[in-house]
Amino acid sequence: MEKPRIGVYVCWCGTNIAKMVDVEAVTNEIGKLPNVVISKNYKYMCSDPGQDLIVKDIKEHKLNRIVVSACSPRIHELTFRKALEKAGLNPYLFEMANIREQDSWVHTDRTEATKKAKALVAAAVNRVNFHEPLDARTVDINPSTLIIGGGIAGITAALEIADAGKTVYLIEKSKSLGGYSSKIDLTFPYMTSAQQMIKPLIVSVKTNKNIQLFLETEIKEIFGYIGNFESTITPKNGKEVKLIFGNIIIATGLKPSDASKVTNYGYGKIPDVITSLELEEMLLKGKIVKKNGGEPKNIAIIHCVGSRNKDYHEYCSRTCCLTALKYANQLRSALSSSNIYELYADMRSMGKGCEELYTATSKRNIMFLMFDQQNDLPKIKQADGKDYSMLIEMNEKLSGESIEVPADMVILMTGMEAHANAKEIAHAVGISMCGNSFYIEKHPKLDPVATTTNGVYIVGGCQGPKDIPDSVSQARAAAARIMGIMAKGSVTVEVTTACVNEDICCGCQTCIKVCPYTAISFNEEKKVSVVNEILCKGCGTCGSACPTGAIRSRHFTDQQIISQIEGLMSMSLSLELEEA
Amino acid sequence: MSQRVDPTLAREIEKFGKGTWNECFHCGNCTAICPLTEQGFLFPRKGYRAIQMGLKDTIEKSVEPWLCYYCGDCSSKCPRDANPGETMMTLRRYLTSVYDWTGLAKKIYTSKIFELAAILVISLTVLVLYVSFTFFPSDEGSWIGNDGGVLINNIAPWKRIHLGDWAIAAMLAFLLITNIFNMWLKIIVKDKSVKVPFYAYFTEIFSLAWNFLTQRKLSKCDNAKTYWILHLYLMLSYVALFTMIVFFLEWFQTDTVHPIWHPQRLLGYIATIGLFTGIFYFINNRLKKSKENSKYSHYTDWTFLVLLFLTTLTGILLHFFRINGMPVHTYITYLIHLMVLVPMLMIEVPFSKWSHLAYRPFAIYFANVKKSALKRQDKL
Repeated sequence: MEKPRIGVYVCWCGTNIAKMVDVEAVTNEIGKLPNVVISKNYKYMCSDPGQDLIVKDIKEHKLNRIVVSACSPRIHELTFRKALEKAGLNPYLFEMANIREQDSWVHTDRTEATKKAKALVAAAVNRVNFHEPLDARTVDINPSTLIIGGGIAGITAALEIADAGKTVYLIEKSKSLGGYSSKIDLTFPYMTSAQQMIKPLIVSVKTNKNIQLFLETEIKEIFGYIGNFESTITPKNGKEVKLIFGNIIIATGLKPSDASKVTNYGYGKIPDVITSLELEEMLLKGKIVKKNGGEPKNIAIIHCVGSRNKDYHEYCSRTCCLTALKYANQLRSALSSSNIYELYADMRSMGKGCEELYTATSKRNIMFLMFDQQNDLPKIKQADGKDYSMLIEMNEKLSGESIEVPADMVILMTGMEAHANAKEIAHAVGISMCGNSFYIEKHPKLDPVATTTNGVYIVGGCQGPKDIPDSVSQARAAAARIMGIMAKGSVTVEVTTACVNEDICCGCQTCIKVCPYTAISFNEEKKVSVVNEILCKGCGTCGSACPTGAIRSRHFTDQQIISQIEGLMSMSLSLELEEA
Repeated sequence: MSQRVDPTLAREIEKFGKGTWNECFHCGNCTAICPLTEQGFLFPRKGYRAIQMGLKDTIEKSVEPWLCYYCGDCSSKCPRDANPGETMMTLRRYLTSVYDWTGLAKKIYTSKIFELAAILVISLTVLVLYVSFTFFPSDEGSWIGNDGGVLINNIAPWKRIHLGDWAIAAMLAFLLITNIFNMWLKIIVKDKSVKVPFYAYFTEIFSLAWNFLTQRKLSKCDNAKTYWILHLYLMLSYVALFTMIVFFLEWFQTDTVHPIWHPQRLLGYIATIGLFTGIFYFINNRLKKSKENSKYSHYTDWTFLVLLFLTTLTGILLHFFRINGMPVHTYITYLIHLMVLVPMLMIEVPFSKWSHLAYRPFAIYFANVKKSALKRQDKL
């Protein structure tokens, strides 16, 4: 290995760093370290002149290692790696020291902050000595897509991709397509028919030559990585089919939570306490009747059933408030002389046209009553009176009064929760779930449909409760992402992966158990672990778990990390001694 | 004890005015900016909620609508245009009908036709009684006095008119007292949350007279100084004229034409100016809809103003014809004057808008009585 010639660049970040860190002192101190050829500071390293400075120095001074001490590597690591590439240097011969988020922004003592900056930069310099050039890797993309779930999100994504001429395998576990969209009567906020919306889409899916539909089928296992996944499925009344595909969209949706868990409401015990889906059934049939066949005169709609309460689910199911408003309108139109009560915790009617729906509903002679969802749920008691069979006792929040609401039909707005088998699917495709069993997106703001597993996308309810427009938007977004990758034909994948030294590996398979990305398999013939470099994210879990030291994480080798710690400690120590 | 909600109550109250309470989403701005609301007597938001939920007991025992003088600040600051001020007004109309045991207030407030018919019936009754008990001036010469003025007591002797006055005054007193008793039952007796000690009725009696005579609370409303002064002037003028007619008619309805600085004429003129300024101010506001409290007019608001205007106008004409010696004109104008004055008194005072002259000071009195009781019990 040639002798390292390191260039160090300390950034001021305007005044962000310079006001709390003496950048000149850091530059001088670091310049004294071994192998450091050049040590400079500049106002904005990320600017074009800043990057040009690095490129120029690499060429003039034959630098082969670069350290930039500036902001977080999450922000500008790629920027500087590109600058290295431009100068003809391998981009991995670079290290960044974060002296902004981890130093100048969080400290108030300039002397101490400067000392810390010196230590952080020294650590980076020590580490970069041991950096190795790594090569980028590309994989070809199979132009077929697997979509799991045939609800509105899955259908939309399937049509979007199939209409672009690419093959789609659409897998649905139930007998029919459409999901919950086909079980409801009208949609909010414009009160248009869900049936008229979903039925033509189902026909389009069934007649589309590019879509292979598998009903009553479930996915058991998926192997491979972006561009080259494969799975064997067993459709009902058919023989095994092996599918090969380049990308996966998970659109498994959600299910309503169990209303009987909220014991205050007596679901399953008191007749005429029904769930929102049971009401949808009645609305689809066109007849709203009580168990005894009579027309209800006092209808109470209770919000947040199983949502926003630590005893059930803490999250908001998002669509129930508006669905409840939709019911109030439908019931008001169908039963003009009935009394309608909305018992709500907070009215959450955000979204286009939704607050307007609330305003319009509030003018239709509907009584809105507010209760405390966290500590004081209403209680339904059976009673016997004219036009009511129940009395709902509650403390009304806005008036501060204890009241009773007569009712002969109660509709429970059940929240949404993840499917019981959400974990199995997550495991099959190698993605993670949050505490509520919703799949976790790659970035909550900037990459909401991708996952940390390349080539796997999550759309619709499986990522969290959402309404039809949002599910459809996500479906189209994922489809567009996949078609973009297909158009390119190949993708570059991360090279900071783990690799196994087969001579040292003892075959204990500890690494296989700890790998969160199912990237390690076992070679039965050689009795050693094998890392799939496409699936590996370079998290390093296997490397630290390996009892023999057979696993080496590229770009995070033991030597690199130890030298980084040494750099940090020796600089801190020498500064302490100097002071003493 | 829990109260049963009643969705039909809002529809019932809606008949008494403008029902915009469904717009309210309970931000509480109205209560926050109201200069008159205070701890223990919060309005207007709470009243809104009681209507929305149909809490009949809460509304019937509430004194708060009467503590509002309708400056309209709440309505102008309402982010939802829910018009809290007008809702308080509507509640006052509704409460008037709740206190009124005869049931006539409700009919008058909810039916234009009934109100008009009632006015006509009373007017015609006055016509019949007037023609039967007064004297038409057949010989013009004998009806004029030495000073050139009409000898009015030869046409309508004050003693006879007095009989009618007293009959009306007795009836009004009876209705108002019984209705106020009803109001007291609802506001104080029915409210079990506070026990009012007997002495509190005496210690607070001063506030009853003080608020009746000064309308001090109205002056505390923001941007309502003109409103307060004109409202007070109008009210005092009315009370002065009413007192003179009912108790001092002999002194007020004289055959002699006094000099202009004579207290009888001077008082009459000052009161007439008070009435007219007020009437024009309120009519102008209602026509232009220039203020929050005049944007919406219930028909009873107009009936009251029109009757008061006609009474004042005929009163002025009567005086003019009398001092200028025009007996026929005097006779006819006197008749018209009574035909508008009597229905105004008999309908407006016990059953309609004018009743607030009694309910409002009594409401403040009852509120003060309650407040002193609450303070004694350390609940305030």
